[in-house]
Amino acid sequence: MELKHIGNSIDRIDSLAKVTGKAMYPQDYYVDNMLYGKTLRSIYPFAKINIDTREAQNLPGVIRIFTHNDVPNNAHGVLHKDQLVFCKDIVRRIGDPIAFVVAETEKICEEAIEKIKVQYEIMKPVLDPIEAMKEDSIKIHGDSNIVYHFKLRKGDALRALEESYFVATNTYKTHSIDHAFLQPEAGIGYLDENGNIAVIVATQYPHYDREEIAYCLNLPIENIRIINSNVGGAFGGREDITLQVHLALAAKTLNRVIKCVYSREESFLAHSKRHAMIMNYSTGVDKEGYLTAVKAEIIGDTGAYASWADNVLRKAGVHATGPYIVPNVMVDSYAVYTNNPYAGAMRGFGATQVAVAYEQQMDILARELKMSPVEIRLKNILKVGSITSTGQLLNNSVPLENCLRSVTE
Amino acid sequence: MINLKINVNNTDYEIEIDEEKRLIDLLRDELRLTGVKEGCSEGECGACSVILDGKLVNSCLIMAFQVNDSKVVTIEGLSEGDNINYIQKAFIEAGAVQCGYCTPGMILAAKAILDKNPNPSREEIRMGISGNLCRCTGYEKIVEAIELAGGYLNGTKTYRE
Repeated sequence: MELKHIGNSIDRIDSLAKVTGKAMYPQDYYVDNMLYGKTLRSIYPFAKINIDTREAQNLPGVIRIFTHNDVPNNAHGVLHKDQLVFCKDIVRRIGDPIAFVVAETEKICEEAIEKIKVQYEIMKPVLDPIEAMKEDSIKIHGDSNIVYHFKLRKGDALRALEESYFVATNTYKTHSIDHAFLQPEAGIGYLDENGNIAVIVATQYPHYDREEIAYCLNLPIENIRIINSNVGGAFGGREDITLQVHLALAAKTLNRVIKCVYSREESFLAHSKRHAMIMNYSTGVDKEGYLTAVKAEIIGDTGAYASWADNVLRKAGVHATGPYIVPNVMVDSYAVYTNNPYAGAMRGFGATQVAVAYEQQMDILARELKMSPVEIRLKNILKVGSITSTGQLLNNSVPLENCLRSVTE
Repeated sequence: MINLKINVNNTDYEIEIDEEKRLIDLLRDELRLTGVKEGCSEGECGACSVILDGKLVNSCLIMAFQVNDSKVVTIEGLSEGDNINYIQKAFIEAGAVQCGYCTPGMILAAKAILDKNPNPSREEIRMGISGNLCRCTGYEKIVEAIELAGGYLNGTKTYRE
C-alpha cells in the first residue's frame, strides 16, 4: 500500500507564505490611526519604587499612562502568580515592568518614558542562589526563596557510595542563556466588532494568555480573544506573558488599536532565560565499572520569578542520572528565587543542564578505572528490561547500545 | 522631511520621508513591504537584508536619505503572486523554512551568492550567508536549499513535479 505522507517529504503548510514574505508576524500589522505603546522597565535588580507620571502625562501626544493602579488583579504567572503586570512598591529584577505609555507615535512614547519620574530606593540584591537558600537570607517573595524542591530516592545511595570502589565528587555549573528567537515580541490590541478584547501576538500558549488576561482584567474569559500570528521562533521564551496584558488593558480602556514592538534589547529584558544550575554530584562505581550510586544536589537559579521552574527542576531531577542504570539514587533539586533575570522554559526544560554533569562524571570514572569512555557507557546504559532511576521498567525499544556502537564503529 | 526618488522591485517611487528614518522604515512603514524583517536593529542578524544596487545590505544600517536614486530589491520583488522564483522553490523543497523570520533575508543572501556564481561550493555558501542568523534550522537545510537552487540555475537539477 502506498501512503500519502508517511515515508515522503512534505512541504510545510506555511512555507509558501514565508518564502514570499507574506507571512504576518505581529509587527507586520499596520492599522490606520493606531496608537503605540511602550513599557517603562526597572533599571535596578532590587529596589523600592515611587512613581510620578504627571509630567509625562501632560506631554502632547500622550494618550494614557498605565500603572499598577489600573490593573484589577495585578498578578500573573501560570504556575505561580508571582509576577506583577506593573510593579507597585518593589522591583525585583532589571527589566521589571513599571508603566505602559500609550501615545500617538513611538517617538512620543520614548519621550514620555524619559519624563516618568521613578524614585528608586536601592536594596542589596540577592544574586547567589546558594546564599538565597540560607535561612537568614533576604527573601524575594514570601518567607523562603526555595520555591520548589523535588526529591528522588531509590535504594540507599549514601551507604552504596560508602561501599563503592571509587566515588567521583564534583561540582558543575551552567550559565543562564537567552533563547534569542529572531522575531522580537510584538503585538496589537483592539476591541473587535462584538466589543471583545483581541490581542494579536506570537505566543506558545494562546489558551494560557487568554486566562491570564481574563484574570488580570477581571473579565469573563469569553470576552478575550488571542489571535496567534506566525511565531518567529520561541524555544520556550514565549511561554510567559510579556505584552499581552498591557495591550489588552490599553485596548479595553481606550477603545483604540494599540501596537507595541519590542527592540532586541527590550526582548532580552522581557522574557525568561534558561535556568543557570549548580550541580553537586557524587557518583560511585564498582571495580568492574558498573555504577553503584548517584547522589546529586541540583540548584536552579530561577531569578526573580518562578515561571516554569517546577517543571524545569523536576525534569532536571528526573534526568539526573542520564541514560544509565543506577541501583541507588538520591537526588534533590531546588528552584531558588534571586534578583537575577527570571528563568523559565527553554529547549529541554532542565534535561539539558544535567547532561553536563552526569556525562563528565562518566568520563572521570572511566579515566580512574583506566577504561575507555565508550566501554564504561556500554556497561551502564539502559537496555530493554532495565529499571530507570524513577522506577520505570523499560520493556521495549531502547536502542542506546545500537546508537553508541554505530557512532563509535 | 526630505524628498527622495527610489526604485523598489521595479516600481519608481517619489517619497517624502523624515530624515531620521532608515531604509527599513521606508520599506516597511511607508511602502508596507513587511517581508523586510527587523531582528536586531544593529546589523547583526541579517533579517532586514535587501539588495541595494546589486549588493546585499542590512536595511537597518542605511539611512533613507542615502538611497536617493537607488534600486532596491526586497523579497516581495522575487515572485509574482504564487509564481515563485527558483530560490524560493528550493527553500520549500529542501525544508529550509521553519519559523520563517530569517527566510526573506536568507533568500536574498542566496540570490546575492547565486547572481555572482551559479555553482558555489558549500564553503562559499556558508560565507555568503554568514551575515544572516537563523535560530531554528541549524543552517544545514538552508545550505542544501542554496545548493539545490544552484542546481536549478545551472541545469543539473530540475524542479520537482
